[in-house]
Amino acid sequence: MRRRFYIIALHAHGKILPETYELISFVRDIGGEEKTGIILGSKPGIVMMARELAQKTGMDIICATSKYLENYNAQGYKDALKGLIDCTDPCYICIPHTATGFDFGPLLGAALNIPCISAIEDVHDGVLIRSMFGGRIHARIKPPGPCAILTVQPGAWEGSAACSGPAGPVRIVHSDISPGKTIIHKLKVPASKDVGFADAEVIISAGRGIGSEQNLALIKRLAAMFQRSAIGATRAACDLGWLGYDHQIGVTGRTVSPRLYMACGISGAVQHISGMRNSRLIVAINTDPHAAIFRVASYCIVEDIKTFIPLVLEEYSRMSGISF
Amino acid sequence: MGMNILVCVKQVPDSADTIELCEGSSRIIYKEGTVFRMNRYDEFALEEALLIKECFPGTIVDAVSVGPDRVSLSIRKALETGADQGIHLRVESDQYLTPFARASLIAGFARAGSYDLIMAGIMAEDDMECQVGQILAEMLCLPCATSVIFQEMSKDEKTVYVEREIEGGVHECITLPMPALLTIQSGINTPRYPSLSNVLRARSQKIEMIESQMAAALIMDRTVIGLGYPRQPSAGEYLEGTPAAKASALLKILHEAAIL
Ligand SMILES: Cc1cc2nc3c(=O)[nH]c(=O)nc-3n(C[C@H](O)[C@H](O)[C@H](O)COP(=O)(O)OP(=O)(O)OC[C@H]3O[C@@H](n4cnc5c(N)ncnc54)[C@H](O)[C@@H]3O)c2cc1C
Repeated sequence: MRRRFYIIALHAHGKILPETYELISFVRDIGGEEKTGIILGSKPGIVMMARELAQKTGMDIICATSKYLENYNAQGYKDALKGLIDCTDPCYICIPHTATGFDFGPLLGAALNIPCISAIEDVHDGVLIRSMFGGRIHARIKPPGPCAILTVQPGAWEGSAACSGPAGPVRIVHSDISPGKTIIHKLKVPASKDVGFADAEVIISAGRGIGSEQNLALIKRLAAMFQRSAIGATRAACDLGWLGYDHQIGVTGRTVSPRLYMACGISGAVQHISGMRNSRLIVAINTDPHAAIFRVASYCIVEDIKTFIPLVLEEYSRMSGISF
Repeated sequence: MGMNILVCVKQVPDSADTIELCEGSSRIIYKEGTVFRMNRYDEFALEEALLIKECFPGTIVDAVSVGPDRVSLSIRKALETGADQGIHLRVESDQYLTPFARASLIAGFARAGSYDLIMAGIMAEDDMECQVGQILAEMLCLPCATSVIFQEMSKDEKTVYVEREIEGGVHECITLPMPALLTIQSGINTPRYPSLSNVLRARSQKIEMIESQMAAALIMDRTVIGLGYPRQPSAGEYLEGTPAAKASALLKILHEAAIL
């Protein structure tokens, strides 16, 4: 029997999120043919989104509605999906590995008693690949049973192009779920300060590997070599209090694409890379030749930033006659 | 009044430099001299539990860890930092355990403990799965919030208000009934250092040891075919030569790209 691939669509503010279309590319790469999209929400908005999804993908869509699905909530998603998906036949349930997807994906796996394989980044000959140790090591995984939840790393696949064929059928079903135990309040968007990313042609970013707050001076001096530059950071560098969170680049920070991105002492965790991978030129300086950041870098420099940056500053002063 | 809080702490190798792979197998070898420490996200979870304890007198904070003998050091560290009791769910093997297996072991213990609040880090730095907390919540039928960046317990200890950090730094705000399970995102607080008095207290404290017999099926509920260094080689160019040569090469590249 052919395995069915369920593609769980995520949406926010009335729009289908791009990660949904990335799942379709993932399923294509793993060789899945039988696809069903599932989108959950409350009427009437969700039905419009379901039609849009059917139009853009040509897939069969199940649109599950309930007034208790008006806002995302883990319990509602888990209960509704559990009611829709029958694991007696082989299936993979594909979910984006976003803060929403990893919130309910493992819950659903436990509720259906099937394994959940999270943060999948790649597929080779049907084998799933995911990062461990900050991307330094890859695990190759084949789910043991006929059914599994697969959460897919955002940005790992390009979104599928809109299909030119006819729209798929949309089946609207009422999900008979109970009101969740949680109370949902309004979203908050914390005030953020612009640290110059919008205008910056060059971003010099610091990671935990700069070692100490004092060494930020080196990063600042390096940035001062360029006319329109800004200072970026990893979440780890912000957690240490070296830079404010407004400087954080990555999935939970800012997304940037300057002409030059210099990663100093940054391991290259996928959550960081997704915020800077579209930079034009990427230079990485790291003592570890296996660091994951080197896989996205245009130029890789295996050096200690404490000794290497001073050399760059010195050499530049010699060339330009200006000291930094 | 006061609550019983359970914090799940995992021990991870300090750096990926000291691990070795048996190519083609699923074994990780920790080289001699590998330094282990508490998963950083769990340090944030422990700190948050200790902050709640300070606001709600009578609260007890327990720290639990699953793993071989070595993990008792991280439990000891939790006690030194301020946890009241430590529980070691000991397993023989030093190998990879699936999130399901870890959660099952913790659930087996926590079921008996009547905890009001269970906290864990959002993710383990070594396996990077973001799953154990959620699976544990489902096994214990607790409401759960992941990626928590702010929490406030109601005065009557019946509900907890949390903000979850989602993509782009937006916060999703929800109130959960207690008992509940939270997975904590980094940056929620600044973890404290152990105080001398706690270090002294922890020294003589016994860690409760529970032997965990795990069915082989539980350990192997997923087939890891192999571990390896990423296949996709760097698309980039490694600069070669002395450090000074690399510095001039870099400046030349930036100059040619008209960035300098
Ligand atoms: C849900 C979620 C969301 C996240 N969102 C983000 C996000 O938006 N942005 C983000 O950045 N992270 C994010 N993270 C965290 C992310 O997973 C990593 O933990 C983080 O990016 C690591 O930061 P780092 O590279 O600075 O530190 P580490 O991973 O500790 O790397 C330090 C690096 O420095 C190198 N190094 C050490 N000494 C030197 C030296 N002297 N010279 C040169 N190199 C040196 C080391 O070899 C190492 O590669 C998120 C995590 C989760 C779970």
